[in-house]
Amino acid sequence: MPALTGFLWLTGLWLGGEVIIHFTALPISSGVIGMLLLCALLIQRQRVPTSIAAAAQPLIGLLAMLIMPGVVGVFFIADELAGQWLAIFGALVLGTAASVVTTLWLLKRLTPTDQRTP
Amino acid sequence: MTDALLTRLSSTPLLAVVLTLAAYLVGNALYRRLKQPSWLPPILLSAVLLAGLLALIGLPYAIYQQGASWLTFLLGPATVALGMPLYQQLPRIVELWRPLVVCLPLAATLAALYALGIAWLLGASPEVLASLAAKSVTAPIAIGITEQLGGRVPLLMGALLITGVTAIPLVSLAARLLRISDDRLIGFALGLNGHAIGTVRAFDLSPTAGAFASLGMSLTGIFTALWLPLAWHLVGGLG
Repeated sequence: MPALTGFLWLTGLWLGGEVIIHFTALPISSGVIGMLLLCALLIQRQRVPTSIAAAAQPLIGLLAMLIMPGVVGVFFIADELAGQWLAIFGALVLGTAASVVTTLWLLKRLTPTDQRTP
Repeated sequence: MTDALLTRLSSTPLLAVVLTLAAYLVGNALYRRLKQPSWLPPILLSAVLLAGLLALIGLPYAIYQQGASWLTFLLGPATVALGMPLYQQLPRIVELWRPLVVCLPLAATLAALYALGIAWLLGASPEVLASLAAKSVTAPIAIGITEQLGGRVPLLMGALLITGVTAIPLVSLAARLLRISDDRLIGFALGLNGHAIGTVRAFDLSPTAGAFASLGMSLTGIFTALWLPLAWHLVGGLG
């Protein structure tokens, strides 16, 4: 049952994230708090228990499938946004292009090791 | 499909789950068959397939979404699970902490501002602007931000899809133009700009790219969740 034990850890840390948000009113999702808690837990243990790896690995592999049901919703609101599609597509595609170039350029400028490696 | 049968099948999560799994697997198989084009990620193929299936069967999206929440619930533990690659790559992340700390706030802020500026210039309504603001943030966090700003969640999810899907080829193109071959930087840029969709792609490249993408994705999410609602209300209060 290692995967089940691992799943209990993951859901337990998620629950911990919910409790932390309840008391601190942080505008962050409980999943992200749980992720940071898991990372902290692993740092403290200095290794990844097999149970956590057995549950975490397949879940990470399924991320794309898990966001699909939400993503597909956009096809069903198309009519309501008539007349705004140019603005939406322009903003997303051009905006993403600009921010991708900015990010990579900044990273390259700031990272000394990138020039060192041939 | 007859109404009686559809009502029976959609009264439990069964149909939604089967359709989602089928669309996901067929989308992935198609992606491999097409020799894995970087401009057409499997999630887009699968999402189009799924939308087509729902339209064909006549299953309303709201009912589908309700059934599929059985699957989307797993987004919670899956997000927590990203703490594992984060830990495994920690030594490499520590090596690069300075560029990451300087780059992140700037890049995450610009990711939102560029899109908002362009949408505003092209005449988008305030509701559309509020729905696009969190377009580079991972879904579970972005939904919370969008609700705070008064945007529409389905439009946000579409914006996430378009952003993630365009970020993937744009990152490889920009990396080539800037002559960057470091998986750590490419991964970080994928996660920062392309949230979960970019992160999934980064794991295809290498575990290192995947870990840096998880880091970029989570830091962008946390940072944006902290500043965007605050800035939004300040600007709204002025105007």
